[in-house]
Amino acid sequence: MIQDFLSMNGYGLFVWGSFAITFIACGLLYYKTFKTLKKYEREFAKEINELSSKRKKIVTENSKIASQVFSSFSKTI
Amino acid sequence: MFKILNLSNIFFWIEKLIGFINSIFFILLLVALSLALIFSPPDYLQGDSVRIMYVHVPSAWIGLASFSIIAILSIAYFIFKIKNIKLINKSIAPIGLMFTCLALVTGSIWGQPTWGTWWAWDARVTSMLILALFYIGFISTHKFITDENKANKISSIIAIIGLINIPIIKYSVEWWNTLHQPASIKLTGESSIHPSMLMPLFLMFFVLILYCALIFLMKYKTEIIRIKKKNLKRL
Repeated sequence: MIQDFLSMNGYGLFVWGSFAITFIACGLLYYKTFKTLKKYEREFAKEINELSSKRKKIVTENSKIASQVFSSFSKTI
Repeated sequence: MFKILNLSNIFFWIEKLIGFINSIFFILLLVALSLALIFSPPDYLQGDSVRIMYVHVPSAWIGLASFSIIAILSIAYFIFKIKNIKLINKSIAPIGLMFTCLALVTGSIWGQPTWGTWWAWDARVTSMLILALFYIGFISTHKFITDENKANKISSIIAIIGLINIPIIKYSVEWWNTLHQPASIKLTGESSIHPSMLMPLFLMFFVLILYCALIFLMKYKTEIIRIKKKNLKRL
């Protein structure tokens, strides 16, 4: 039964190949996008961390985004 | 009313949306795959090879829709000069390119058992290939032109010119004698596809749309952080 399901009446290679290519491509794009996002978040948090404490306070108070990114990455820096 | 369009508010909603999509995505994917690969019937003529449709058709729809959105937003960019548009377009383009390429590749795989060839210079296939080239042109301008304003202008022009190709793709199967079959699903009029195949098709489309939304939100978030990082001194 499993063999029938895998062979898809002789079209298995085409069907599984198409699904595999689609999901591998989707997985790779997800991985690349996720990695780039985390890289930018880390770099941004690092730049905020390198500011003087007075400036750091101003930046995190003035920008919700900066404050959010910094707080989520401050433990890992 | 425009407070919601503020980048900080958008950023907050992006976080929420990413969390929501992540929570439902895998369950829906599992259901869609079960329907597409197990429960949907084989075609009376094409047999099980018809299951390729469940990845091929949604990919082609997403490729076409993404480019249409990019082109319409590019026109809006020229008229209203809203800076947010360029961020949206930059985030959509890679998704559109990937799905256009997937439509071409899965179409080619489907072509072998049904047409007896991996590739044919058929009107639909060729116009889809041209769409992929427009995407490459659009993305390349942002990659290789360092002046952002110039890159935005050139990429917008590419998108607007590429918009001409969209109706050509849509009606190519009617205008020319092609190997590719005419549309089975019509916006106006009755579809010639059975509901037992239509349901998994729409579900797969919905799952892939969710995936696109997830990638778009992550890319958009990256772009927002990139801008904030660049303007850190001004904060």
